[in-house]
Amino acid sequence: MSLAPIAVRCEGVDKSFGATHAVKHVSLDVREGSIHALVGENGAGKSTVLGVISGRVAPDTGSVSVFGEQIRGGHPTDLRNAGIATIYQELTMVPALTAEENVFLGHLPARRGLLDVRARRRRFLEICEDFGLSIQPEVPARELSVSQQQMVEIMRGVAAQARVLLLDEPSAALAERERETLHELLFTLQRRGSTIVFVSHNLDEVMGLADRITVMRDGALVADADTNDWTKKSLINRMVGHDVDFDERQSTRTNDLVAKITDVTVRPNAHPISMDIRRGEIVGLWGLVGSGRTSFLKSLAGLMPSSAGSLEIDGQRAAWPGNPRDSQALGIALLPEDRRRGLVMQMDSVDNHWIGRHGPYSPSRINRGHEEGVVKEAAPRFGFAPSRVRTPVGQLSGGNQQKALLSKWAARKPKLFLVDEPTRGIDVGAKAEVLNSLGRLAADGAGVVVTSSELEEVLGVCDRVLVFSRGSVVGEVPRGGAEFSVESILQLGFRAGEEDAL
Amino acid sequence: MSAPPKGTGTETPRAKTDVATLLLRYGMVLVLLALIVAAVLLYNGFLAPANIRDILAQNAPVGIIAVAMTFVLIGAGFDLSVGATFALAGTVFAGVTLNYGLAAGAVAALVAGLLAGLVNGFLVAGLNVNPFVATLGSASVISGLAFIYSKSSPFIVEDIRFQYLGTATLAGVPVPILILIGTFIVGSFVLARTTYGRNLFAVGGNREAARLSGIPVRGLTASTYVLTGLCAALAGMISASRLGVGQADVGASVALDAIAVVVIGGTSLLGGEGAVWRSAVGLLILATLTNVFFALNVNQNWQLIAKGLIVVGAVALDAHLRKREST
Repeated sequence: MSLAPIAVRCEGVDKSFGATHAVKHVSLDVREGSIHALVGENGAGKSTVLGVISGRVAPDTGSVSVFGEQIRGGHPTDLRNAGIATIYQELTMVPALTAEENVFLGHLPARRGLLDVRARRRRFLEICEDFGLSIQPEVPARELSVSQQQMVEIMRGVAAQARVLLLDEPSAALAERERETLHELLFTLQRRGSTIVFVSHNLDEVMGLADRITVMRDGALVADADTNDWTKKSLINRMVGHDVDFDERQSTRTNDLVAKITDVTVRPNAHPISMDIRRGEIVGLWGLVGSGRTSFLKSLAGLMPSSAGSLEIDGQRAAWPGNPRDSQALGIALLPEDRRRGLVMQMDSVDNHWIGRHGPYSPSRINRGHEEGVVKEAAPRFGFAPSRVRTPVGQLSGGNQQKALLSKWAARKPKLFLVDEPTRGIDVGAKAEVLNSLGRLAADGAGVVVTSSELEEVLGVCDRVLVFSRGSVVGEVPRGGAEFSVESILQLGFRAGEEDAL
Repeated sequence: MSAPPKGTGTETPRAKTDVATLLLRYGMVLVLLALIVAAVLLYNGFLAPANIRDILAQNAPVGIIAVAMTFVLIGAGFDLSVGATFALAGTVFAGVTLNYGLAAGAVAALVAGLLAGLVNGFLVAGLNVNPFVATLGSASVISGLAFIYSKSSPFIVEDIRFQYLGTATLAGVPVPILILIGTFIVGSFVLARTTYGRNLFAVGGNREAARLSGIPVRGLTASTYVLTGLCAALAGMISASRLGVGQADVGASVALDAIAVVVIGGTSLLGGEGAVWRSAVGLLILATLTNVFFALNVNQNWQLIAKGLIVVGAVALDAHLRKREST
């Protein structure tokens, strides 16, 4: 492996954004035909390095060469000529064009200036077959799932005969099974001789995919070694600079019912959902994307007015919430799946904390000092630095945004706290803090319902797991039971899905 | 238990001294100061109390509307109907005063503004009609009503009390200026210091987050159109009172002037960002410019061109600085 020629070489790359020194003198070699992972906490500079390699970001000093050729920043055609394709976290589909048109975007096969439609279709089907994909060429991109859109982006790179493929967080928005498809696709690409560089927060994925792993911290390259020389623990240690402790779950589950949820129908044809949530317990919901867990949480939060069911909170019957205000009045709070939906980016954490609420000392007037005090006092409980509370949240890292959001909703002292994907796209240190704070909220008497597409995380924090499939609950696995493991829960989720499909 | 909290963020707060950031924040104040210096150098008497009083009194109607327009824009809305409401309220004020007396006229004019605002609010917040289209349409309807009510001819009011609102002075200060200043003070207090104002910023900045936070998004959005309706009515009354005439064919440039004032000040057209003091700066820039042109005897048409260039320039500069700031 180490004998393979160098595909990408960064030499002494430096990059600053304003006062932020994002990348500090990074030199890095990527061998041809390897899968190379860049890991690090948010803000460590890995995405910037990827941007520099892709030519999107021009380095202040230093240079990047691909197969020996210098890359000039900001010249997209240079990159195509060098054979680089980049798949960003935010996908770049044209929603109104078909899958096929998106694949050939920017390099449509043409004959004498006219589109060669037949050649295009032939090539599209060839690529599909080559990689074992089944994507309908005529479907508009907007109707494709996130995973399919990503496939289309990768196909675009293949169609452009890219030799180096750069991927930024490729699996962040994918469900377990879709991830496997992606991983297979990447391995196929590798076997065909492509070089792959990717950024990921998911260390299991990194360990499973990559041949070589580079760790960055605070803009600098801190370690670079073959995957065989790494363990998950040593990776985390180098990323964070110290060991990270996830609290061992000490159950604080009581027998008091917080919420009795009966016969909820979110979708017309699914089995109704029922569940009891007890004070102090953490219930994990797990299911594939589209299994209905997010819809169920949204329904409880009053975001799906067409859903119906019966609800008792603290033994009191209540009407099924038809809007977020009704839901909050019942003591239900939702931390939404996408934190960007829950935060006003121009506002600082203090203002975000208080929107929609009365101030602490007057129902209608703002008292900046008091409000700031309340938020600062709560911040450390969530691992959020009190000195940052007046920074506009749009300038905070994903982890800090999540902590600000968590602190905001926890302050409303919800009886039932619904937490959807709290750790998506945040770094490992922040992950531990976010998950640990859920344990403390439960200990304070809330009933917490949490989802995550990373099953291991769900298992780490909760007292029992409810498995969702096709809009209903298909199984319950208590902590300590024989089935409380990644394998058996995955099986439960997939098996139910397949039985339903028959 | 867990490790003690650490400031795990690695991002650095943007340097506060960054020139682009400062320009973005206070650029228009510098433009205003430069304009004032130029005005003082260009002709004597710019700073004379009588001139200042004229400037403010002339621009009071647009300024009052601009305060409410600031609220609409921060809530990510837009109101093109204020010119029509301005004309309708002036017409109703004069017409009803002629028939039923001054008090009835004032109440009727304000009710007209309130209704216009409620209709706009319902269209935008209740029916989800794009605010640009909703208020363009309602402007046409409101304007038509004003012409029908007045039978297309001006109501001339001889009663001297009718002219108090526009021409009387209190302790030497014209009433329109007092109302203008009062509107700005109340407006900036409500926007910057009350939960109503903050919730409005949230609605304009991220509707979804506002809704999730339990803010009554629709009601809040609608309320901003009620504010513009009421302020436009008040402005129309002041204007009619100044002239002693209520007529339906005024106010053609009022909506664009009010929006220009807000935008020049630096309130974002995208919603979620802005301030009432910014609109004060925008108003003074436009007013000073008009005054200088007038004193220098520049053709009116050139004023139109200059105004247009300033509005587009201010927005382009804002967009440019924002882009620089975000990369």
